[in-house]
Amino acid sequence: MRLLLAPALVVIVVFAAALSALLRYSVLEFVPGSLRTGGLTLANFTGILSRQYLGAVWDTLLLSLATTVLTLVASYPVAYALARTRSARARSALLVLTLAPFFTGAIVRTYAWVLVLGNTVLTWPVPMLFTPRGVLVGLVHFSMPTMILLLAAAVSHIDPVYERAAASLGASPWRVFRRVTLPLSMPGIVSGSVIVFAWTLSAFATPELLGGGRVKMIANVVRDLALDSFNWPGGAAFAAVALVVTLGLLAAAGRLTAAAERSPS
Amino acid sequence: MLVRLVVASLIALVLPVSTARAQNSLVISVWGGNWKDTVERVAGKAFTAKTGIPVEFEVGGTIDRLAKARVAKGNPLVDLTFTTSHVGRLYISDGLYAPLDMAKIPNAKEIAREALRSEYHLGSWSYVYTIVYRPDLVKEDITQWSDLWKPGLKGKIAMPDFDPSHIITIAALMEGGNETTWQKGQERLKALKPSVVAFYSTDAQSQDLMKTGQAPVQVMLSVNAYHLQEQGIAVKLVQPKDYPGIVGIDTMGIMAGTKKADAAHQFINLVLSKEIQSELVRALKAGPVNGGATVPAELRGQPGIFVTPAEWKQRGYIVDDEVRAKTLPAWREWFTANIVK
Repeated sequence: MRLLLAPALVVIVVFAAALSALLRYSVLEFVPGSLRTGGLTLANFTGILSRQYLGAVWDTLLLSLATTVLTLVASYPVAYALARTRSARARSALLVLTLAPFFTGAIVRTYAWVLVLGNTVLTWPVPMLFTPRGVLVGLVHFSMPTMILLLAAAVSHIDPVYERAAASLGASPWRVFRRVTLPLSMPGIVSGSVIVFAWTLSAFATPELLGGGRVKMIANVVRDLALDSFNWPGGAAFAAVALVVTLGLLAAAGRLTAAAERSPS
Repeated sequence: MLVRLVVASLIALVLPVSTARAQNSLVISVWGGNWKDTVERVAGKAFTAKTGIPVEFEVGGTIDRLAKARVAKGNPLVDLTFTTSHVGRLYISDGLYAPLDMAKIPNAKEIAREALRSEYHLGSWSYVYTIVYRPDLVKEDITQWSDLWKPGLKGKIAMPDFDPSHIITIAALMEGGNETTWQKGQERLKALKPSVVAFYSTDAQSQDLMKTGQAPVQVMLSVNAYHLQEQGIAVKLVQPKDYPGIVGIDTMGIMAGTKKADAAHQFINLVLSKEIQSELVRALKAGPVNGGATVPAELRGQPGIFVTPAEWKQRGYIVDDEVRAKTLPAWREWFTANIVK
């Protein structure tokens, strides 16, 4: 039995080593024009407290929040239809449409959005490509399949008898949804939102391609610092701060999830 | 200590495979795609034919390969590296390159002074960052750097954000400064901000922006512009009248600790020969570093193609490698805060 733990231990050691390397670099002095690092310093952390870097953290949080809300709103009707459609053919078609983006790959999907958002296929009333709006569209599209599947699983676990009972007692369809379906699907809503929020916090390819260099999320800034400025200590410090922020937010979201699961449904 | 142990273990895991494969070969680190294909076809095959030594390639981005080289310091996984001249400075500063034995590279005597980057790395070919545009999408006539500031180009320009050294240097030159007094061009650069529609992080992004017409005017690598022309995209390269293009020189260096230093020296010598340089010019549409190379008539005098010492001096501006490597973080920080955002 203990032998079976060995692979897990190897993975933990590798991850811990990578994380400790990150933390070690974050407190080493950056020497411009060299890959060598200087002595111990906290300057990397004070350096990233500038408006430019904190702005990237703020933009990331806003985009992640907006992505989560919009993904939820856009996914719920699809998930509901997926869970409640009686026709097996229609359900299969919906499922295929939902899963299709998974088979195209993130880069291909994002390049398709470059064409769509860049007035090549459609003409937009406001600029979309290389703006936060365009990045938001790409992030929502990227997140929808996962959210739909999680919500559909939650909705399919709600016994339709409850909804029929509410309707038979005179509740309007909207009231049935608001008072019965929505509260009972809350575990799916919370878990889907936490997952979408967490991975949007670390989004890289979508803001890189749809942001045109103007929209920088945390991962893009870390890459810029480490790979373009050769400032590995600065990149490590920024990544460490971002990691702490992410863990804090996820801990808060975890509490929210637990509360939702405990709430009487 | 733990980190080193894990890294060493990972290297130990991959090393037997790499070592077995590379035992008899000269292993060369180079960019992927057209760069690797060209070096392999033009220089690699000729080298094997001449010496009997097979050539293998490790491909990757500039910084990915630098990171790998750092991890394998002292026991390099490759014998010779192609990289940009200022990144070559980082290899040197970290002790990743071995000093070159110039006696083993007789062809180095024939190369342009500008290609002798240091005692550790030598230029292999040249290009420029210059203005490239699509005349079918841009009504303005663009003939010089100052044209970028024309109001008609508002929202049409793209430029690299991973390395803004070219436009920063040009702005400084226009204001009577240079790369060391780059602050002189700051206000001029700020005036360019409304004209910039996008910033690209990779050459591929740059080419896509040009192909789709999202950014029909770009500060772009001449080699990439010629590549777009070959693909049927009608782009025009500008030979700026007011200030020269910013020269890029890709370089070769031999890894410290390699057991195939002799073969690596032979390879560099071959790449610098007139014959291989002529082939490289034709294949890459880059400038030769050996002035004796044959340059096709249609490429002579074109942006990035320098043959005579006078052409190097008049049509290209070379940013000091050390200044560039040391100042790039500050340039990027200022550029991101004031131009990108």
